[in-house]
Amino acid sequence: MTADMRRSPGPSPADPRVVGGLDYSIDHHVPGAWHLRLVRSDVAAGRVVDIDTTGVESDVTIITPADVAAYGTFGCQIADQRVLAAEPKFAGDPVVAVVAPTPEAAREAAASIQLDYDEAHGVFNEFEAATASAPLVHTSHASASGDAAYFAMRPLDGTNVCHRFRIRTPELRGYDEPELIRELPPLDDATMSDAFAGSDIVVEETFRTPAAAHVPMEPHATTAQWVDGRLEVITGTQTPFNLRQDLAALFGLDPADVRVVAPAMGGSFGAKTFMRTEAITAVAAAFTGKPVRCVLDRDEVFSEVTRHASTVWMRMGATREGRFVAKQMVAYVNTGAYADCGPGVAQKLGYAGVGPYRFDHVAVDSYCTYTNLPPAGAFRGYGAMQSAWASERLVDMLAGELHIDPVELRRMNLLRDGDAFCTGEIMHDTHFEELLDDAAKAVAWNDGRDGKGVAIILKGMQTPSRAEVAIHALPDGRFEVRSATADMGQGAPEALTRMAADVLGVPPEHIVVPPPDTDLAPYDTRTTSSRSTHMMSRALAAAADDLRANGTVGHGRIVNDGGLDPDTGTGVASSHWHQGAAAAHVDVDDETGIIDVRSLYATSYAGRVVHRAAAELQNEGSMIMSLGTALFEELTYVDGQLVNPNLSEYNIASALDGATIHHRLLETPGAEVHGLGETAVPPVPPALGNAVASLGYHPCRLPMTPERVLASRVHPRQEAP
Amino acid sequence: MSWHMPTTVDEVLRLKASKPDATVVAGGTFLGLVIRQGLLDSDEWISLQNVDELRAFGTAGDLSAGAMVTHRRIETEPAVRRDWPGVAEAFGVVASPRVRNVATIGGVLADADYASDPPAMLVASRAVAEVASVRGMRRVPIEELIVGHYETELDDDEIITRVLVPRPTGSAAYRKLRTRSREDRPAVSVAAVRETGGVRVVVGAVSDRPRHYPDICAEWRPGDEQSTREVAAAYADRIPCLDDGRGSAEYRRQVVSVEVRRALMQVSR
Amino acid sequence: MKITLSVNDRSVDVDVAPSTMLVDVLRDELGITSARATCGVGLCGTCTVLLDGRPVSSCLLMAPLAIGKRITTVEGLPDDDAVVRCFSERHAFQCGFCIPGMVLTARDMIDTGRANTPEEIREGLGGNLCRCGCYVKIVDAIEEAAR
Repeated sequence: MTADMRRSPGPSPADPRVVGGLDYSIDHHVPGAWHLRLVRSDVAAGRVVDIDTTGVESDVTIITPADVAAYGTFGCQIADQRVLAAEPKFAGDPVVAVVAPTPEAAREAAASIQLDYDEAHGVFNEFEAATASAPLVHTSHASASGDAAYFAMRPLDGTNVCHRFRIRTPELRGYDEPELIRELPPLDDATMSDAFAGSDIVVEETFRTPAAAHVPMEPHATTAQWVDGRLEVITGTQTPFNLRQDLAALFGLDPADVRVVAPAMGGSFGAKTFMRTEAITAVAAAFTGKPVRCVLDRDEVFSEVTRHASTVWMRMGATREGRFVAKQMVAYVNTGAYADCGPGVAQKLGYAGVGPYRFDHVAVDSYCTYTNLPPAGAFRGYGAMQSAWASERLVDMLAGELHIDPVELRRMNLLRDGDAFCTGEIMHDTHFEELLDDAAKAVAWNDGRDGKGVAIILKGMQTPSRAEVAIHALPDGRFEVRSATADMGQGAPEALTRMAADVLGVPPEHIVVPPPDTDLAPYDTRTTSSRSTHMMSRALAAAADDLRANGTVGHGRIVNDGGLDPDTGTGVASSHWHQGAAAAHVDVDDETGIIDVRSLYATSYAGRVVHRAAAELQNEGSMIMSLGTALFEELTYVDGQLVNPNLSEYNIASALDGATIHHRLLETPGAEVHGLGETAVPPVPPALGNAVASLGYHPCRLPMTPERVLASRVHPRQEAP
Repeated sequence: MSWHMPTTVDEVLRLKASKPDATVVAGGTFLGLVIRQGLLDSDEWISLQNVDELRAFGTAGDLSAGAMVTHRRIETEPAVRRDWPGVAEAFGVVASPRVRNVATIGGVLADADYASDPPAMLVASRAVAEVASVRGMRRVPIEELIVGHYETELDDDEIITRVLVPRPTGSAAYRKLRTRSREDRPAVSVAAVRETGGVRVVVGAVSDRPRHYPDICAEWRPGDEQSTREVAAAYADRIPCLDDGRGSAEYRRQVVSVEVRRALMQVSR
Repeated sequence: MKITLSVNDRSVDVDVAPSTMLVDVLRDELGITSARATCGVGLCGTCTVLLDGRPVSSCLLMAPLAIGKRITTVEGLPDDDAVVRCFSERHAFQCGFCIPGMVLTARDMIDTGRANTPEEIREGLGGNLCRCGCYVKIVDAIEEAAR
């Protein structure tokens, strides 16, 4: 019955995604698979002292922390996570796994298991976690050895700080921070006062962003099985090769004995990166000797991985004429119970917070701290959103103090080709001024600026990184493009098809792009940070050349060197800069605090566009997601317990919310291909925030709920005459 | 496990009386939610899906809607839009068209969810529920039907069979204030219905049940700004507001005074 | 209990508990994967199916409530359906997970004459969420299909 209910592949031009013809991870069924459910900790910190399994039926396999004690730790940047937690570190940490023949039996068994705890005090706030007296989430810090640990970790032993990233421009090299800064140091500090000495005006403020949820429509869905001593995992993931490496390390296997197949994802936005449910599912398959399937419930997805909450202190000085002199920033990102890629987020937040501007002096200290909240990891816009919120709001505060138009003030200080960024790298291919002017024009900036705001950002691409692709000439004359670039809805197969057709000089119908399979595809760093279209466009050109030279198979390999010294912030932050601006026009109901978005615009530098519809959708999608970030998305924790793990209590933007967006892709014919997956994410909240601020409010905290907007009113409301 | 599909109200009532633990299913939206969350399962279900008389609908005198009449019908029926515009509006802003296609007027009252839109408007409109059991039928004003969070004064063997809304004699306003997505449920809702010699103001979504204070309403002088402000302030003072993700108690109190004032201004015209 | 359902104009017999939701019957018993349970609270619309032509949340609909009604999933729309064609041609999707539900909601909107303006279409899409944020192109596609 199953097959004949499906639409038969006919001549219909319908896209499979439109008619339900595309199989996602959740649709992959391996015959005979058993079902995994996780029993999760109710407490945010403590030790499990008893696991009562007396109510569980005999045909259910139960896996406890003691059963998996022999497995080591894992984690993409810091090896701090175990397959199951005997000492849970957040409410929701998996403690016991049950595996049963049916999903219902697994659910029933999981519900019948009782856990007893020796509960401990938790710590939840990112900067409270950094105090000397805070309870330690982890007692030691162990850097991971995999490719995702692409810079040296700088933990502070004996604290919850698992990484410190800092930037010191040359004249500030002598300036060392106290081990932990819990607030912006006063300006009379000798070195910093020198840095700001040339400033006539100095502004400073604290900005906050909360934890948020990715809400991919498809939950995490993984199937694992062992076939002749090899591990095979079918899972929606943006990081097939990182996952293969981490799974191999966990099981003591040669990476070649782990196969990761990544079907199309029903959304990810960073939620399906690095090790998620794959470790425990593979372990369960080993325990039962059967294929095992694990599909998370929606409330579990909410705590599987989140966006980093952050607190950013920032200070900026300028001359009376408006020339930027110095910037100082101290930031804390809340990485939750496990570091995941939090160190990388702290780093990217650190340099993105400097913004696309020239400064004489820059000092950044960005700390990644553990807390007893669900782990935070990759999230569309990755650090840049949190610090752009701070830096672009602060530019408007400075403009207010200087009585200079905010657009003019930005224009005076923008980075241009040949300027040095705070990292020492020389900027190239800059388009900031054009983006700024375009954004300002979109809201008729010159016709009065009440209710209007702009913001402009730069955002790095994963650097260093490596991309490889293989083109196989098929006997029927078509070409198969094998790569590990994952399809999460961004249009990867279409982009690869078009780019391959272009470099091979054949029609797109002659190109076949199978889903990533680490047994077939060559290595690729991962599908993140809007790097894939850019990197793959170059790798494909090399592969086509190789194919022409060598016959049936062509290999292309592109390596982007660079990276930053996490101690000084010098080096190459990004080989290629994502550049974007946004503008907003709003009304604020001064009695209820409700923001009415009259118009929201984003403009992103696109270079050469490969697939127009997909490029537009990435820009629109980034704006819609960021609109939610700006106005209402927030994970709310009470004593470490998430109180809104569903779409009724955690809203995401609807068609009505996004009714007034419009946007532009700034193109340069013949230019390099630029990634676009998240460029429009960071500038949207500060553009909206600056628009709100122009009406007499001072929003510093996201999301800008009506209540917070009212509370941020600068002057008492004037009664209408 | 049984799924009963009676075809008459009498049959439903007999079943309900003989199986007090059975769960009555109307549109099934709210039940679907609680079943999915693992909060409810049942061995006996009494489904109203085939009881045609519960879909009876009339607008000749009072608006008369059988318990199984959907939100969508009330929202879109031309006679309701013309003669009970406030009622049509309150039903038309519930959740999504998809939910309104199945959610019923009986269901929304029996659930007594504090953040639902229709109850406040039905209270303001002096709506009455007909409640039946094998013991007979009685009429309960909606104002008395909903007594707390998810709590009604229905007895175990009773079901709502019909809702009657008198023909309005004055204008009505329904204000739904959302603090998050445009599809969020209300943080504050206000229903105001003018009637001969006065107004009924009911505030929903801020406490366990719709709040109506006739003594405060009696102080209102239509079109008078001062008394409008005083009524609004008195509502804000009197209502015990709750805290949730849509707003703190303090914010709600502040906004109740704004929205009550705006609703009264709307019905002044 | 044994029930008979009409799915995409075919009569099918299934044996389910009364509290089984329709989406699970479609996916697990009938292999129709276009209806997808996502939010579990009736707010996102990825589980949308048509019941006698009107959209409902199949993740919250107890299967017996569909007895005697026509259930239509996106697989049951005709091959030349204008909504399907316009969504495809206008590339009104990214990951696609929510799209079958959007298509069915749009079908109803057009059939009942409620897709006349972009504003009306956005209103009608209430309860169909797209986390990829494809609304601009979705609204365009529905507007075109309605013509």
